[in-house]
Amino acid sequence: MRAVHYLNQFFAGLGGEEAAETQPTRLDGAVGPGRGLAAALEGVDIVATLACGDDYFAEHEEKALEVLLGLLEAERPDVLVAGPAFGSGRYGYACARFSRIATERLGIPALAAMHEENPGVGATDGKVLVVPTAVNVAGMRDALPRMAALAGALASGRELGPPEEEGYLPRGFRRNRLDEQTGAERAVDLLLAKLAGDTRSEVASGFDRVDPPAPVADLSQALVALVTEAGCVPQGNPDRLPTIRAQGWLRYSLAGEATLRSGEYESVHGGFDVTLANEDPNRLVPLDTVRALESEGRLGRIHDAFYTTTGNGTPVAASTRFGREIAAELTESGVHAVLLSGT
Amino acid sequence: MAWELATYPAGLMGELPALDGVEVDVVRGGEAVRLTHVLDAVEPRVRPDGRAAFPTTGPAGEGRTNRLDGVVVLSCLDFPAEERPLHEQESVVDLAGPGADLTPFAQATNVVLTFRARGGLGNEELEAWARATTLRVAEDLARPTLEAEPTEVEHFERGPADADLPSVAALVQLSDLGPLYYQYLYGVPVGQAGLPRAIDPGELLDGAVTCGEYHWAGLRNSTILFQRNALVRTLYREHGRRLRFAGIVLMRGYEQTAEDKQRAATAAAQAAVGLGADGAIVTTDAGGNSHTDVMLTVRACEEAGVRTTTIVAEMADPGSTSPGLTDWVPEADSIVSAGNAEELVSAWTPERVIGGDTLLDGSDARDAGPIPARNYLGATNQMGQHWLRAVAW
Repeated sequence: MRAVHYLNQFFAGLGGEEAAETQPTRLDGAVGPGRGLAAALEGVDIVATLACGDDYFAEHEEKALEVLLGLLEAERPDVLVAGPAFGSGRYGYACARFSRIATERLGIPALAAMHEENPGVGATDGKVLVVPTAVNVAGMRDALPRMAALAGALASGRELGPPEEEGYLPRGFRRNRLDEQTGAERAVDLLLAKLAGDTRSEVASGFDRVDPPAPVADLSQALVALVTEAGCVPQGNPDRLPTIRAQGWLRYSLAGEATLRSGEYESVHGGFDVTLANEDPNRLVPLDTVRALESEGRLGRIHDAFYTTTGNGTPVAASTRFGREIAAELTESGVHAVLLSGT
Repeated sequence: MAWELATYPAGLMGELPALDGVEVDVVRGGEAVRLTHVLDAVEPRVRPDGRAAFPTTGPAGEGRTNRLDGVVVLSCLDFPAEERPLHEQESVVDLAGPGADLTPFAQATNVVLTFRARGGLGNEELEAWARATTLRVAEDLARPTLEAEPTEVEHFERGPADADLPSVAALVQLSDLGPLYYQYLYGVPVGQAGLPRAIDPGELLDGAVTCGEYHWAGLRNSTILFQRNALVRTLYREHGRRLRFAGIVLMRGYEQTAEDKQRAATAAAQAAVGLGADGAIVTTDAGGNSHTDVMLTVRACEEAGVRTTTIVAEMADPGSTSPGLTDWVPEADSIVSAGNAEELVSAWTPERVIGGDTLLDGSDARDAGPIPARNYLGATNQMGQHWLRAVAW
């Protein structure tokens, strides 16, 4: 099996800071730390080393990646190994970006090695395996065998075990396992530990908190759009909006409509009892009320389309994308404010 | 209060009932059987003193109750399709294959009652019939124990405990999201039962709470999960050893307005304070909206000086690294994972399907492909009943 190794200018022996502008380069076989890596690899040969100056990569990322991808593809490798970058932020970032793009564009499995607090870890976004290393080069001898073991696993295509067994940092995925204890027993243990001053959690969280925007200065002059995640669609759901885990959003015209009549609109949301909503779809998308406010002059104008999706079991990443896409259209249309009805 | 639970062998099970409009099957763990459209699971119980095993007038958790060991009564009902407002919540039990590892049903003798829809009856009438019948059958099946000797008698009583031990309460959330989506306390939908409310832990184990909530199957608190409640049992067992068991507070999930949610959370925290709790384990029923109730309760408890651990199922897209919780507050710093409800359980082909051949999403129950954990009854139970958990990967 064939491996390609990525290094920065320093570890590739091309020079120190003075060579940091070095453009992407191909070197035959294993170089520098690649020799130790090659010795630890079983059944995998390092066929080439690709190197790039840290500054060049940072300043010309797109171009550097393009050249590196071309050089990589020509080697037809089974795995790409990058680093170890230890605590070096620029080098770690380059390892992460190159590995990630190689995986995403060429489907080549990749690993990058660096300290767990290297900013490059965040740039992998779960797409690349990161082998944790010490913060400086003193950790080289410890890192290479672990990188080699994981590289061998990736090259062979075998299914990987959990992070702590295989020696990579968790990527942010969640996988189910059967524990020896029930959840109840674990809850009692966690609570007693917390009461004794040792707070632990099986779910490390952290949530986006969205700050409310400033109020609309003058609603009587505003163009206002109706947006909902309540799964409100024309009767019969002509565009097959899913009842759960929607993959996108839909837009329906409100031009000339004074109200959303029962029997003409319905909710297909699979997460709540839609009986009352279907008796009067304005309960989901309050067109009747905002039309009244519009005719009273309290709202400037109602945007002539409403936007809808099903907010039910939707991954945060998908919801974020819907929001961006809808907001882009609304901004394009000159909409000033949105009435967002949730369920 | 003191309560005894007497265990009798499964072989004492009474005769299977003949019921109009109900098919009755007995299937055992390990058989290549898939149950579909499962509503509830109930352990057969009967009381020697003649009081109801699932009382609607109270009290439960006193005297003695008999149970049949290793027998589960399961009810299956395919609601008339188009009428059902929530139609994605298929509920499956597999007695073999990969799904069988998730819950203990595959270790049991399962008495399966398949209720057939009858003309003229709507969803709510059908559900009331199925629920009442299932509880009655569970009681009848245990009746032969009244003439027999138990193999084991467990005593549930919170005796004196060292005052230096930390005092721990369980705050147990029960759903009320309207018809087909509420739990019952002494036969009353919990939204009308004056929650939050402290009850004796023995009441919970003794049939005071029954299930009428048919939301996500994996996140559903079935009747048997109250009867066999692992959290209450663990707290009884640890009482006087590592903790003092302060008691239980029942609280409602799916409070409908922001103000009601906050009010209920504050009231639940005050009830925990009233029990003298230093800490509380906050459990969840169903998901989404009810997770917000739990998180607000966690915050209210912490603000009231009651430290918390909470149990929640994650709902993370298996293919992405986005967070798997519907809601979260910074005070929720001690969370037990009940597993990722969205993870797929590998495909398995049963030889026999009971409950209905077509799943609610239209697929063939024999050839449904991988099924999310959320569709396996009790798999990601948020009272901590089972073993599934999600780990970082």
